[in-house]
Amino acid sequence: MSRSAHARPSIASLTAPVAMGYIPLGAVFGFLFVQAGGAAWLAILSSLLVYAGAAQFMMIPMLAAGASVGTIALATFVLNLRHAFYGLSLLNSMPAARGQRWYAVFGLTDETYSVLTALPPDTVAGRMALVTALNQGWWVLGTALGALAGAQAQITLAGLDFVLAALFAVLAVEQWRARADTVPIWLALAAYAVGYAIAPAQALVLAIALSLLACALRPDRPKRARKEAP
Amino acid sequence: MIDAGYAIAAILAMAAVTVALRALPFVAGRWLRRHALVRKLGDALPLSIMVLLLVHAVIGSARDNPGGLWQELLAVAIVAVLQWRTRQTLLSIAAGTAVYVLLRNA
Repeated sequence: MSRSAHARPSIASLTAPVAMGYIPLGAVFGFLFVQAGGAAWLAILSSLLVYAGAAQFMMIPMLAAGASVGTIALATFVLNLRHAFYGLSLLNSMPAARGQRWYAVFGLTDETYSVLTALPPDTVAGRMALVTALNQGWWVLGTALGALAGAQAQITLAGLDFVLAALFAVLAVEQWRARADTVPIWLALAAYAVGYAIAPAQALVLAIALSLLACALRPDRPKRARKEAP
Repeated sequence: MIDAGYAIAAILAMAAVTVALRALPFVAGRWLRRHALVRKLGDALPLSIMVLLLVHAVIGSARDNPGGLWQELLAVAIVAVLQWRTRQTLLSIAAGTAVYVLLRNA
């Protein structure tokens, strides 16, 4: 992506694509949440407080099945672990004001991260909170629209929850684009096969533990120009 | 009906976990950057986890689907190819999900 100091993309041109994604996806989240038996205001509350798309989609079947709060928290931890690595490349460009800084950290989703890393480095700090607020606004708006529609409608379409798998596929492609390293894919597939063979019901947790171990024990990649951020 | 008190507890727990993960590099960035192991995990683990979550979601869908695994695999392939070529997240997700819903309800 271009980081030239001459190119100064406007806020509108940066958050418009996010709006195109967040409003409909937020609407699907709100719709599925209400259809699963949750109140519309709870869907909106989760978009205000959690604000993590994939985790919110994942919570729907877990809440519907009555999973324990600890299990839901653990699943959120695994799913959002990637976010712990995002901030590293933004460390030096955070807003000076405390409130803005904390809000920008709170709202650092995949899409907001990619918008911020596309901004010229010297303007990131000033625009971070605004970009974050606009993006969360789209997400909350979509959630509200979907939740209200879901409260009216009585359609049950089998397979609509495939959006979660599709979202994981998109995130996997973007991770792959950033690293172009096939080893983690094979590691993951092998780990899942092993986990599934040992205990199908616990396959995911086992596979995550195995992948973590394998990634940690893996010999270092040959040195080459490695980028700090995707 | 999902109980409101239970849902609020889950939402608060998810919010706390998410914000803690997002804040980690800002609170412990120096420490994280110094450690080769953290770097190595940061390089490879996110992709592994996404692939795992994808496989898990696909297997979960296929289990409720009498039509069999090929429908899930086809839909995932559509999403992956579209995302790779266009980078349009919404387009990729919408097209893959639409194809899957059509196959399931055909």
